[in-house]
Amino acid sequence: MDDLLNEFLTETAESIDVVDVELVKLEQDPNNKEVLDNIFRLVHTIKGTCGFLGLPRLESVAHSSENVLGKFRDGELEVSEHAVTVILESLDRIKEILAGLEATEEEPEGDDSELIGRLDAIAEGALAQQPDPEPDTIEGEIVDPGLGRPLKPGEVSLAELEAAFENAPGPEELAEPDMPTSEPAAASASQEGGLFDRIGGEDTLAVAAHLIAQRLETDEKLAKFFAGTTVEQRKGRFMGLMLALFKDDLDAADNVGRQLVTVAGFADANFDQLLTLIKSVLEECQVNGDTCDEAVMTFELVREAVVTAAKAIAKAETNKAGTSQGAQQQSGAREQKKVTQSIRVSVDLLEDLMNMVSELVLTRNQLLQITRNMENSELGVPLQRLSQCTTELQENVMKTRMQPIGNAWAKLPRIVRDLTVELDKKIDLDMRGADTELDRQVLELIKDPLTHMVRNSADHGIETPAERMAAGKPENGTIILNAYHEGGHIIIEIKDDGRGISAAKLSNKILEKGLATQAELSDMSDAQIQKFIFHPGFSTAEKITSVSGRGVGMDVVRSNIEKIGGTIDMNSVEGKGSTFQIKIPLTLAIVAGLIVKAEEERYAIPQISVLELVRASQNSEHKIETIKDTPVLRLRNRLLPLVYLNEILGFMTRDEIDARENVDDFIVVTQVGTFTFGIVVDQVFDTEEIVVKPVAPILKDLEIYSGNTILGDGSVIMILDPNGIASLANSGVGDHEHEEAAAEDLVKRSVGDEKESMLVFRAGSENPKAVPLALVARLEEVEVDTIELSDGKHMVQYRGALMPLIMAHPEMKFREEGRQPVLVFTDREYTMGLAVDEILDIVEEELTIKLASNKSGVVGSAIINGKASEVIDVSYYLGLAFADWLRSRDLSEDVAPSAGAKVLLIDDSDFFRNMLRPVLTVAGYRVRAVSSAAAALALMEEGEMFDLIISDIEMPDMNGFDFAKEVKKDSRWSDTALVALSSLATERDINRGHEAGFDDYIAKFDKETLLRSLAQQLKIKGDAA
Amino acid sequence: MSDLVVRDDLSLVATGTQDFVTVRLAGQTLGIPVLGVHDVLNPQKITKIPLAPEWVSGVLNLRGKIVTAIDLRQRLGLPPLEQGKQSMSVVVEHNDEPYSLQIDTVGEVLSLDDQDFERNPVTLDPRWREVSRGIYRLKNELLPILDVDKLLRFESSNKAA
Repeated sequence: MDDLLNEFLTETAESIDVVDVELVKLEQDPNNKEVLDNIFRLVHTIKGTCGFLGLPRLESVAHSSENVLGKFRDGELEVSEHAVTVILESLDRIKEILAGLEATEEEPEGDDSELIGRLDAIAEGALAQQPDPEPDTIEGEIVDPGLGRPLKPGEVSLAELEAAFENAPGPEELAEPDMPTSEPAAASASQEGGLFDRIGGEDTLAVAAHLIAQRLETDEKLAKFFAGTTVEQRKGRFMGLMLALFKDDLDAADNVGRQLVTVAGFADANFDQLLTLIKSVLEECQVNGDTCDEAVMTFELVREAVVTAAKAIAKAETNKAGTSQGAQQQSGAREQKKVTQSIRVSVDLLEDLMNMVSELVLTRNQLLQITRNMENSELGVPLQRLSQCTTELQENVMKTRMQPIGNAWAKLPRIVRDLTVELDKKIDLDMRGADTELDRQVLELIKDPLTHMVRNSADHGIETPAERMAAGKPENGTIILNAYHEGGHIIIEIKDDGRGISAAKLSNKILEKGLATQAELSDMSDAQIQKFIFHPGFSTAEKITSVSGRGVGMDVVRSNIEKIGGTIDMNSVEGKGSTFQIKIPLTLAIVAGLIVKAEEERYAIPQISVLELVRASQNSEHKIETIKDTPVLRLRNRLLPLVYLNEILGFMTRDEIDARENVDDFIVVTQVGTFTFGIVVDQVFDTEEIVVKPVAPILKDLEIYSGNTILGDGSVIMILDPNGIASLANSGVGDHEHEEAAAEDLVKRSVGDEKESMLVFRAGSENPKAVPLALVARLEEVEVDTIELSDGKHMVQYRGALMPLIMAHPEMKFREEGRQPVLVFTDREYTMGLAVDEILDIVEEELTIKLASNKSGVVGSAIINGKASEVIDVSYYLGLAFADWLRSRDLSEDVAPSAGAKVLLIDDSDFFRNMLRPVLTVAGYRVRAVSSAAAALALMEEGEMFDLIISDIEMPDMNGFDFAKEVKKDSRWSDTALVALSSLATERDINRGHEAGFDDYIAKFDKETLLRSLAQQLKIKGDAA
Repeated sequence: MSDLVVRDDLSLVATGTQDFVTVRLAGQTLGIPVLGVHDVLNPQKITKIPLAPEWVSGVLNLRGKIVTAIDLRQRLGLPPLEQGKQSMSVVVEHNDEPYSLQIDTVGEVLSLDDQDFERNPVTLDPRWREVSRGIYRLKNELLPILDVDKLLRFESSNKAA
């Protein structure tokens, strides 16, 4: 039988039993809201599932009952005995239909309009006043054979039933006249809808069996298979078989079926012939057509048994000693049948089992720990066996808790279908990996979030067919659900090809809700903005439809998933669709935990949250730095915020931590949602399978623990909850999402928009150094032998002139032999070589200058290729090489008049400010550098005056064009020369610059032009004055 | 095992005997109803729980079960145990959760006559009054009886703290 149907039958049967009892309770206590709610819920569930499975008859009956119950619940209708009676009757009808369903896998035909009519009438209130329908007719002593108990008060009376049957044409009607024998039993049994009763009970069967037995003798095709049996024997067997079949006693039927045929060679085709014969006999016995078909169908259940038995006989005959083999096969076949059988075990029992196994695992771990310290122990071998058994047991018990994720999806097709109707969209639901199994506890917890997300996709994601056509997409939208295992986790993807998430629309909403300012938003990437949908109280649909937008937002989804230690990520391209990815642990009970140490105590961190481990010390590449008091770690181009476990747990204050010397810290890089941070611990041990046990109620308030566990050595340790730590670490900041955005922002902003080609080299120390490639004229390798010493300086003959060589690092030495790599810089007639140890790489990277350095010769440091690198100041080395270089600047005719002029430099990039300032300074300007247009305008407000302003164009908040307009608007600086400096130096940009009020527009890196232009501008202004 | 009798001061009391485990805590003897005691343990390794309320001394492993240890001295406002001394555990249950009461030493089990029972004197330290069921008058000393349920009803004390 279909698994789904099977499950439905078991479940519904259970529900009906409960409703039976509850209804009676309700009748006695009509005001008991709890009972009523329970009944309503159960009937509602039955109705819902029927609809899903396509069982119209059941659904309509359940629906009408539900209506009445709904009226009870809303107080529109009083709970009357009559009404309850009719509802019970409908329950019986449901049972009857279920019985048919179980036998044939199809809904038996029948007409319920009369019953439904009465239910509807009650719902309408028409019959509410009707006098009690003769409660006297209920005879308490009548034992319902189907129920096996006396009829309960309120259950349907016979008289009424009969009235009902008379009005309702259907199989029941036919059954009635055929059972004059045991009327009460048969009548009430027929409520149960047993095939047995509808056929006409034992009498009819006896006649039929007799007829079949006789016919077999004369049937030319079948007679030979039944040779050697008397009519009486055959009659007995068929009688038994039919009794068993029609009464649903399948085991018995199976048994009888095997004995049915005594001669070998009975094949499927013969069985069909047998069926035809049986059918004709049944028809002769005046069994109603449908019932007859149904009855014949039941024989299919024993087809296999009969045919295999016949085959076994054949084998037994060819092999004289083969009787046992036949029997074996028989039992084999039966065993196979048993294997596929399942039993329902209460969840509590499973939980208990799981707990016991957890204990066992712990004890095993303890034993292993003990024997590890003993040499040549006799315990070794048996312990190993025990260990193996335990592992297997654990796996198997875990398996009992495993359910295919398809169970959580079962309702989705229906939901999506309904949505397509309601929203007038066309949506295909593609479910992949439905058989991926996961712990039922986890399954329960993700059911709702999943449903919600699919709803969201259908409602918000997929466009209407018209919109889709317009966008050039296929009319049908697709939602793909995909589940698969990946390294101890389950990944579930929900992907749609809808409109995606519009960052612009979201931005409006974010502003509206005041979750971020315009300025913050303008600095965020689309992906960052899109992540705002995980913020509390967010719903992107403009209108709240009945489908989604019920106040449950993605934030609830996120928190639900995080609750089970999972993570959710999103990826959306506007116009293309969105993909959500959920990552959840396989099971909650036993997880892998990373054991760490802080202040002599050990703690476990769930492995799922751990991304990587980093060891940090003062001397290594990774070291902990602080921004004010915030510890951070540079990790592959990102600043990783850190928390000290010692501090969080209150072992040490920050001062104490900072005061420690020469310590190695271990950083557990942890991810919570989209927030990544590092937990600094004293030591890291190994990973262990830990059994999560909840913390005592008094500790529930401590959000940094998610549970505790017992380790192999018997000690109890606390399991840290990364979520809790993250929120502790962020306390005061509020949402960590925000923090994350801000952190990313920090990186992004300083990166600026330009990519820089940087030459990376090594000189003196291991730390890489870098210089903008644009400043390097050539890369040369100089024979060490050719380096000469002259005037206390290293020189080399280069292109017919002497070129001074300067060490890039004071501790550096020339190579003993071979060739020395040299970077050649030229500035007008000055050419110098910078000797380095090794040229490492040329990288094109978004550049982040982190720290301006006080060290001479260094502009600052930047992360290049994931490593902190010093960016050198070329002008410093030029000054070293040529004593007159600085002076020459002043004399240079191009720039001569500008000496002493006051220049304001505006650039958001630290790098350029730091690069240009020395250049301008050496050119004789007095430079004031600020990082934003706003800061510059503030200076204007303060009354500062400058001879010249150099401004970058691409800046956050206010760009260069707007700045120029502002400046020109105001009288104070309107006469100051304005020079634009930008990497956007197309003609259009230049024109735009001029329109905005810039006097000149210069490409970045063009130092010469810049200096010339500055001089020019100052001259013009000077002349004008 | 208990009958009602009228005492001299006309108060109605039950007669009969009840059994108590006596424990010593900073020189004071306390009684714990014997039926409520699941285990008495020698000094155990207790894992501290940072950030937990101060009267929680930690958690310990009792045959595979994790038991929360309550520092009874803290809870009753007594000075902490001297350095180097270890406390013993009396395991009790509250709301199906095992708790271990950390005490100095365990004494004998006493069968006490209900007639020797008296309500808490009103002047008793509120912290004690809250967790003491009443006092037994022994020959040599007075024996307050711990009300384990009240002792472990943390919600109220949490708020008070």
